[in-house]
Amino acid sequence: MMLIQFKVNGKSYSIDVCPTMRLLDLLRDELGLTGTKEGCAEGECGACTVIIDGEAVNSCLVLASQVRGKEIITVEGLGEDGKLDILQQKFLEHSAVECGFCTPGMLMSAKALLMKNPHPTEEEIRLAIAGNLCRCSGYSQIVAAVKDAAKG
Amino acid sequence: MKYVGDRVAAVVATSFAAAMEAVSLIDVEYEELPALLTTEAALENKEAKIQPRGNLAHEYEVDAGEVPSMADDCIIVESETQTQRTHHGALEPHVCIADYDSSGKLTVWTPTQGVFGVRTVLAELFGLSYSKVRVIKIPTGGSFGGKQEYLFEPVTSFMAMELKRPVKLLLDREECIIHTRVRPAVNTKIKTVVTKSGKLQEFIADSTLDAGAFSGSAPDYARSLSLKVTKLYRIPHYKHTGRAVYTNTVKSGGARGWAAPEIITATEVHMDQVARRLKMDPVEFRLQNLVHPYDMDPVLNLSVGDARVIECLEKGAEAFRWKERFSDCGKDQGRYRRGVGVACGAHKNGMYGGFVDCTSMVLKMNEDGSLNLNASLHDVGCGTTTAMKIIVAEVLDIDPDLITVTEADTELTGYDPGCYGSRVTYNVGACAKETAEILKDKILGRVSFILQKPKEYLKVENGHVVTIGTDQRGISYKEIAEKAVQENYTDLSVAHTYYSPSNPGSYSVQFAEVIVDSATGLTRVTDFLAVGDVGRVLNRGMVEGQFQGAVQMGIGYALCEEVKIDDQGKPVNNSFKKYHMVNAPDMPDVKVLLIEHEGDDGPFGAKSVGEISAVPTAAAVINAVNHALGTSLSELPLTPEKILDAPGTVPGAFLGSKMHRG
Repeated sequence: MMLIQFKVNGKSYSIDVCPTMRLLDLLRDELGLTGTKEGCAEGECGACTVIIDGEAVNSCLVLASQVRGKEIITVEGLGEDGKLDILQQKFLEHSAVECGFCTPGMLMSAKALLMKNPHPTEEEIRLAIAGNLCRCSGYSQIVAAVKDAAKG
Repeated sequence: MKYVGDRVAAVVATSFAAAMEAVSLIDVEYEELPALLTTEAALENKEAKIQPRGNLAHEYEVDAGEVPSMADDCIIVESETQTQRTHHGALEPHVCIADYDSSGKLTVWTPTQGVFGVRTVLAELFGLSYSKVRVIKIPTGGSFGGKQEYLFEPVTSFMAMELKRPVKLLLDREECIIHTRVRPAVNTKIKTVVTKSGKLQEFIADSTLDAGAFSGSAPDYARSLSLKVTKLYRIPHYKHTGRAVYTNTVKSGGARGWAAPEIITATEVHMDQVARRLKMDPVEFRLQNLVHPYDMDPVLNLSVGDARVIECLEKGAEAFRWKERFSDCGKDQGRYRRGVGVACGAHKNGMYGGFVDCTSMVLKMNEDGSLNLNASLHDVGCGTTTAMKIIVAEVLDIDPDLITVTEADTELTGYDPGCYGSRVTYNVGACAKETAEILKDKILGRVSFILQKPKEYLKVENGHVVTIGTDQRGISYKEIAEKAVQENYTDLSVAHTYYSPSNPGSYSVQFAEVIVDSATGLTRVTDFLAVGDVGRVLNRGMVEGQFQGAVQMGIGYALCEEVKIDDQGKPVNNSFKKYHMVNAPDMPDVKVLLIEHEGDDGPFGAKSVGEISAVPTAAAVINAVNHALGTSLSELPLTPEKILDAPGTVPGAFLGSKMHRG
């Protein structure tokens, strides 16, 4: 076991983790942040995407011990005081949520994009979510929602 | 074991890590037997029986109509199309939890499309009364038919019953791909007799479906192959023979469209070949043969209802600028070849004509005027619960947010066969509408008593009952419901069972534009229009999303998705790394055009959308590729290898590719 300190959604944690534990398991099983989903466990589907120090990352491919000293944002960290983040609001308005399983990962990839590039082109949006598979929507409404959120 | 991926053992432990450790300690010795991996091999080899009764799981023959007197001016066109086994690709892996308590009650939480079916299987299997098995549908991260049948509920329940403790079973992606169900591979040979002026006379088809190692739903699925084409085309003589065949491969099962994507792909690829032989525009040829509103489907002897497929094709062709693009494309001789394709599709609305399709609901108004709809819904991501709220809200003229809707729970909600088979909006939605109408009548009855006015003088408006022709505010639902309980010793709740009276067709016509790179064989879908006749649209965003998502699935079906089995019987692409689904940069912007009307029995005229949206996509893409290349490719998926190996029907078409590969 190893003791690591890190921040999730602005809150500081100091936790003993097993060296083989994935960040995804740390978030879901230790912290109870089950918004982050597991769809493939090999970094292909993007359902487990979280933001680490501003970068969208597949949390199934990151060991828990690698987040020592880092700042993580999960889908639970979007929005404040019960108010949805503008991305979440736009996803709802554009019917961009169907089964919802890819949605947390989509939101985090889109959030990471907008944090770096507040006014992305459609191509940049599509590239930013290229690693997030969705089987329900065909992506059109998701892309439209991100575009709309970028407008503010 | 009957196939690679079959069950060997189950281990239960106090943690996931311990269970995996235990699994790694199991040492299995296999004696390898020759595997029958194709339907041809399984049918030829009568000695090696995959199932005790042999390798033929089911056979059917459908023969409808009369053979027309063969006029001289007919042509005969023959084709063969192979569609492949695919993975449903729901992002959420399969999971379930079972618990067996000290009272002898089994409770199972599962993201299924049909709790009552799972309950029946569990109760019969374990000898429990139906009342002692509680199956609860939990939020579901996509299904597409992959969570329609009972899957892991029995083994999880067995473990829970043995241990008297809750047990959870969660599959990884590899297990989802190789050990749940796949869309079955189907081979279809079609022969049509068509007049030179373009009228279909005969349609003779023969289909062979690869069931995998167990039968499951394969016999029904195979028979369903014969129930689609006559909903789409007027055919004087239709004959369809077919069979489901066991092979030593992963089990097939229900998949979005249930045989329609398979048979319609074969049909629509064939229809393009007919049009080409006749030197007719594919749209013009289809327009001569599509069904008209209220035609009778001669196979099921059912009306196709207010079928607007002709309107879909005409308006779609105009919106897509078909004529212009069809004549402009398909002529490129350079590296990049542009082509356009069209395909039509038909699907159903529920089970009527097959078996009794009923559903039961309870709707109650609380004392604050809010509503609870108790229904056996299984929302798998299609917006089912929202649709029911919209329907009830429309009848009672109330904010949908004031309505809470349940999902299925065998202990608490009424019977329903399950949310599949394109029966949900059409039948379950119609039940919600009738139930709300009965409650509305009851509410008006209460107010009629309170105001001492005939019901006919009253109407509902914005959460109130008002007297027609007055500008008074009226009585709010809250007041009415409170009075009912406190003064009239009754409550405002109704129970209703609805039986579907019809099963019309839902229709979609889809147009694709592709660019094929003749050097690499890669195809890109660059434009797409999906036209739908799904009756009246209840939730536009969700309906458009259903079409756009269906196109994502259909493009994969046409171009890249396949659960491949090697010659040893081992699945080749057992992960998302190797099983490619179309991602955002590779998806075209899918436009959706809806031909709305209210001619059928669904709520406010709504019809099914989730399955029909996925029916003609692959054929539209395949036809576009064939248009681009001047080929007749019909073995799905059209991977770069197949495109590069295509017979050079256009002289010199593949020179570039050969150089590239050489």
